[in-house]
This record gives sequence, structure tokens and C-alpha cells, in this order.
Amino acid sequence: MNKRILIVDDSFYMRTMLKNMLTDAGYEVVGEAANGAQALEMAASTTPDLITLDVILPDNTGLDVLKSLRQTQPSSKVVMCSAVGQEVIVNEAIENGALAYIVKPFSEEKVLEIVGAALQNDATEQKA
Amino acid sequence: MAEIELAAPAPKADRAKPVEMVQLIVFRLGDEDYGIRIEQVKEVTVTPEVARMPKTPPFIKGIANLRGDIIAIIDLEERFRLRPAGRPLPERTYTVAVEAADYTLGLVVREVPRPFTLPLSQIEPAPEFVQDASTRDKYLEGIAKLPDGSIIIVLDMRKLLTPSEVMRLPGKGASS
Amino acid sequence: MKTRDQEYRELFMAEALEYYDSMSRHLSELERNPDAGPALNELFRLMHNLKANARAMGFTDLGEVAHHLETLFGMIRDQERTFSGALIRVVFAGVDALGNMIRAVGANQTLPDATALLDNLDRLVRGEEPVLEDAEMLDTEQESNKKMELSDLVYIQVKKLDNLLNLVGELVIDRDRIMTLAQEIGNPALLATAQHLFRISDDLQYSVMDARLVGVGVLLNKFPRVVRDVAAAEDKQVELTMSGQDVQIDRNILQIITDALLHLVRNAVSHGLETTAQRQQAGKPAVGRLTLSALTERDDVLIQVRDDGRGIDTEAVRRKAVERGLTNASIAATLDEQAVWAFLFEPGFSMAQKVTDISGRGVGLDVVKLALDSLGGQLRVESQLGQGTTFTLVLPTSIAVKGALLVEVDERPYAIPLLHTDTVLALHPGQISVVGGVLVTHLHEQAVPLVPLRQLLHDEGDDPLPPANKADLIGSQQVLVVNYNNRRLGLVVDRFLRQQNIVIKPLSKPLDTIDLFGGVTLLGSGQVCLVLDVPALTRLFLTKRA
Repeated sequence: MNKRILIVDDSFYMRTMLKNMLTDAGYEVVGEAANGAQALEMAASTTPDLITLDVILPDNTGLDVLKSLRQTQPSSKVVMCSAVGQEVIVNEAIENGALAYIVKPFSEEKVLEIVGAALQNDATEQKA
Repeated sequence: MAEIELAAPAPKADRAKPVEMVQLIVFRLGDEDYGIRIEQVKEVTVTPEVARMPKTPPFIKGIANLRGDIIAIIDLEERFRLRPAGRPLPERTYTVAVEAADYTLGLVVREVPRPFTLPLSQIEPAPEFVQDASTRDKYLEGIAKLPDGSIIIVLDMRKLLTPSEVMRLPGKGASS
Repeated sequence: MKTRDQEYRELFMAEALEYYDSMSRHLSELERNPDAGPALNELFRLMHNLKANARAMGFTDLGEVAHHLETLFGMIRDQERTFSGALIRVVFAGVDALGNMIRAVGANQTLPDATALLDNLDRLVRGEEPVLEDAEMLDTEQESNKKMELSDLVYIQVKKLDNLLNLVGELVIDRDRIMTLAQEIGNPALLATAQHLFRISDDLQYSVMDARLVGVGVLLNKFPRVVRDVAAAEDKQVELTMSGQDVQIDRNILQIITDALLHLVRNAVSHGLETTAQRQQAGKPAVGRLTLSALTERDDVLIQVRDDGRGIDTEAVRRKAVERGLTNASIAATLDEQAVWAFLFEPGFSMAQKVTDISGRGVGLDVVKLALDSLGGQLRVESQLGQGTTFTLVLPTSIAVKGALLVEVDERPYAIPLLHTDTVLALHPGQISVVGGVLVTHLHEQAVPLVPLRQLLHDEGDDPLPPANKADLIGSQQVLVVNYNNRRLGLVVDRFLRQQNIVIKPLSKPLDTIDLFGGVTLLGSGQVCLVLDVPALTRLFLTKRA
């Protein structure tokens, strides 16, 4: 069935745009979290195939959320969402297991390409 | 779904064109053959699951979901007291959905109803006087005598289906 | 996709104004306490979000100002700069400028020029002194005289709207009762008030329903990808056209028909449309056309799935219906096309693989029927052999969804609206006593009469209930305490099934005269379930207890 995605971003506007792009493309958005605590809770309850994770959140940094996820759900696939100029954080995120990153402002093609590739990675890993 | 059925009368009307011919849907109640003019029949189906409806007379079997319409299912054998002893309704029955002015009712019958065409002249109009309101005579259009000697009792659904008629006799104890 | 752009713009505005208000608040706090860490973090985050959103919307200057301020707040947080002196003025000027820009976006005006401000922000980031002009100072002072602005939009959970609609539903029922009473009593003043109440509650109901409407596009826009995938898997060429995304419909209805529409679209591509080779052979364009459209018709919303494929082979369906025992040959012969096509939506029928091959229709279509039944909607089918098929879902614009508790009596389910349910109890006979021939239990120091629901439903007439006998109580008694007009009554049922949201359909004639039932609902299984009217049940109990 459709791949299930959890969106983590503190901006409602961003979440809506991401959600529209992803659902238009046939993905199922299983949840939208606006902060780190919600993100961890929803990741546990919805066990998504993929999580898009904003780097700056009101209660936590995306990096901290990523580290927690790595412990609680080591198999979850994470794609970071960041703005230009945050390459340092992004690199650290990749070192902590994020599969890829999306740079805001993003285009629909770019988002779908990155998400698709990340999920592909997921599929091959599971088959292997 | 009702919309689909609404489209149906046109071809039926065409088939009824030869003026003196009448097309009936014929079914058995007890040991007698009954017929209803096909224009009054909406559809015939295998009886869907019937939910018993408390506070209704025993001849109302209950309500059923017929293509999204919730309709009352009526047992005419019970209503006309024609049920042969020792022969309860079988597990699988059929329902003739008949149309009143603004609602639909289902008549439950034990065998698959069949269409039957006959000349109008073969139907003898029912006598005008009404003997007993609880018998079927009140609802008769007439009686068709067939060449082989058998008869079909033709019911007039418009007389049967007034709400007060259906709901009369709030009898003792709902049937199951 | 004008609607979606509009939606984004509204969201952007609502959120930007919210951010702006928060920024102003946090700035004031920072002014009082330059070391306020949380305020700094928030300002950094809000600037970051505003920057990203503005860039996504294409408001470059707005994004630039936010970006510079974000950088600056980042530096202050990392103690590379201090929140003092000229920097404070520039930051305030910057936030004011953001406010002006956001307002300009809202009013559809060109954004004010920000070159001077950006230059100053650049200087601060580089560690240079800003160039302050009197005008900037003036602007700052004027800010306090400006109107405060709140967003025109609020976000609300669907759950809250559901609740509101349920309450309005109850209100309307009571309103109708008051109207009837007023007419019976015949007091002109009372009648006038009742009529006024009637109009107001009508408007209220309309307004609440209106608040729940969303564009059909929310659902339709999911389909380009679905069509692309199915077409690719089937190796077919399909061109999808969509229209009517702006047509408004209740959000919960869209939710309920999602699967049905998915089935119809998948069917249209995989079975309705032919392969490229078959189409060329039939002299049709190689690319199959699929149209998804929504339109309004009186109070209904129509959603159509139209393909220009092979159409339904009516005779094949007719034969199959007879083979399947859904009808017999002589009756089948008299059925018109529409009646024959209706068989396609029978559960048993759908699984017939052969029909799927011949007619191009059939897999899982009973799902469509069930969804429409539960909404009180209709399905229309039009088809021309060789020309194509159109399925039309006829949907109500809005529905009243109510929370209900399902209970079982004599193996039949009954639904009781949650609005009238108080609590559920499992009582052992020791907790029940007989007072004046009536079963009674004590709940929070209050005596609550109990009555088997079976008796209320099945005992005929207005005769008093037979005196209760404790000896009849065997084992634990499942009791649902209902509440009407602050009068509690315990209904003894066989068992509790579950709680669920139901759509209540009114009973049609001639059964609509039985007031014990508020209507019927179709359970997910297609099973018919009567909805009990608690006020009527309570009245019946009071009559029969005498």
C-alpha cells in the first residue's frame, strides 16, 4: 500500500504544503507534529515509513529529536528539512542517521525526488 | 440507487404497449397465485437481512436495507392469514419491492416470482362490495382466469399501501 | 489550481500575523531582560519559519529581512552580539518592517522597500555600526498608534465541529417539539417566540454546516498520482482531466467516500479503459481519457468518474446474475440496463473474475455501494458499449454525524445517541432492589429505576409493566443509564457492543410514526440498526410504570 509519512514542522503553513505535495503524490500522511515531543509520540504511535523532520522546533532541536528516534525506533527513516545556511547541522544529522535533507524553500519535484529516494533506500534495505 | 430505478419505467411502458395486454409479476401466497401489475413493482430481489421492528404488527417482518433505501418488509401470508400449517417461510425468500406514492415496501414471498403476460380481458374486476376489511378482498383489482383453469388473484397495491392500512392492527406481541 | 494557491496564501497570512505578534511580545521581554534565553530562542525560531514560508511564497524581500534578523538573533544567542544600543533600534525597525510587509501581502499591495534596513542589518551582522536615520525612529514611535491586527482565520479541530453539529441537531429536535406544543397551546406570544426560535436555529444549523465545508479538491488532488501508478502498472496511456475542485462538501463525507472513489478510479483505469492496442484496433485515440469532476445539483454534490473505455457488457452481466442465483432467467430477461448494472454492486457479484474480464467492471464495487448507503447517497451509472462508462456519486452536502453507543438486545443491535447516555454499569443482583414493583439501583446516592430494554421494546400497548421480580435477575446485569431532562433511567441490555459515530437516516413511511425510534443507521457491515429515542423511551417508561 501507500507509504506512510509523518511530517514534523512547527509551521502550519509548511506542514500543509508538504502534506499536499506528499498526498498528491500518493503518499499517506499519517500525522503532523508541531514540536519534538509530539514528533516522538506520533512516531511511536503511527510507526511511519518515513519522517520529515524540521531542524528547528519550539521545544527541542531537530537533531535532538533525531537522536531520540535513533534510540526508540532505530529502523525509522528520517529526512531532515532545513533552510540554507544550516549545513553544519545537516551534516551532523546525516552522521546521526538521517537519510537525506530537503532545503527550504523546496520545490515539489525536489521533495518527491528526495522522499522517493529515501523510501527506495528503505525498500532495498528491507529486502537485503 | 433510487435514481437508477426511476429511469426504469420507460422501457416497461413500451412493453405494455399492446393495449389489451397486462404484464404481471406473479408469486405464491399459501397455495394461491397472486399477481401485481409490473408498473407497480420496483424490483425483485433475494430478501436482504431483515431487522425486526418492535411496536409493529406481526405481519411487518421488519426493516431492510434495499440499495440504501430502508424499507418495511411485509408478510402478506400473515396479513391475509394464508400461511399453510406446518410450512413456515423458508430460510431463503424473495422480496418484491412495490412502489407507493412516496415510499417503497417489500413483500416477502417464498418462491421466485415470475413475470406473466395476459390479455386484460381475462381479469374479472373484483366485486365492488367489501366483505371484511381484514381479508384480501379489499385490495383486489380482480381475478384472472387462465385457459388451463387456474386463477391468479390480482392485487391493487395502491389500495394496500396507504400508511394507515399498513400500520393498522397494532396486534399483540411483535412477531419474530 | 487557484484554490490551493489561495489556501496557501491564507495560511501564510494567518501564520505570519501570529509570528509577528509573538515577535513583538518576545522583543519587549528581551528589552526588559537582554539575557532572556527562551525569548531569544523563540525569536530565532519565528524568524526562521517566517523566512522559510516567505521564500516559499516568493516574497523575497520579506524573506531577506527575516533571514537577516534570524542571523542576528542567532549571534546574540551565541553571545557574539549584545542586545543593546543601536542594534535594538534596528531590530525594532526590522520587526516593524516585517509587520508592514505582512500587512501589504494581506492587502495585496506591493511590499515596501527594505533596502536601507537590509543594509543596516548587513552592517550589524558584519560587526559595523548601523546608519540611523530620523525617519526610522519616527516609524518606531508611530507603531504604538497603529491598530492591532489579529488573524482572520482560526484553526479548529473537526471533532469540535462534530460536537457543535450534534448539539445543533439536538436543538433542532427540541425546537420542533416546542413548535408543536406552542401550536397546541395556542398562546400567540408563545407561538411567535417559537417561530423566532425556529428561524434562529435554522440559521444556526446552516452556519455550522457551512463551517464544515471543504473543497472537493482536497480529495480529487490525490488522484493524479493514483492514476499515474495504475496506468503504469497496467501499461496503459491515460489522460486525467479534473474539474470542480472548488465544489464545497462536508469534510466527513469526503472522508467516508475516499475508498469508494479510489475503487472507482482504479477500476476505470485497470478495467474500464482498454490497452493502447485494443483502442487503436477499435479506432479510438491511443490515449484513454479519464475525467474526474465535481458539481452541485440542487442540494446535492455529484462526483463523476467518466472513462471513454469499453463500456459495460450488459448481456454478460445479465447472464452472470442468473448464474450467480441473484435472479432467475425469466425475471432477468425483463430487467432493463440500469437494473442489470445494479448487480455489479452486489457483494457476491463483485468477486466474479470472469465478469471483470468481459464487462470490465466488478472488483470490490460493493464498497462503493456501502459507502453511499451509509451516507444516504445514490449511485448513477451510464454506459455505452464501446464508448465508455460514467459513475456518478450523488452525495448530500452535509450530514449529521452523531456519537452513539451500540447495545444488543435479543441479538439485534440498537444505537443510543451519546448525548443521552450517562454511564454504563455491570450490576450484580445484590445491588438491585425492588421498590413498588420497579427495579431500582443506587447511583451516587440517587435511586435510579431500571427496566429491561426488551420489555420497553416488545411489550405492547400502554398496559403497566408487570411487577418486577428479583428472582428473574440471573447473574451480572448490563445497564446503560440514560438521562433525559435530568431524569435517569437504567436500561438493562444483553450486552454492550461498542461506541461509534453514526449517520442517522429518518425512517421512511409508514414506519415513521413510531416515536420510539429516532431513525436508523447502517453499520459498516451494511446491517440495519435502529436508533433509540431516549426522550420517547423515558416517556414510555413513565406511562407504563403507573
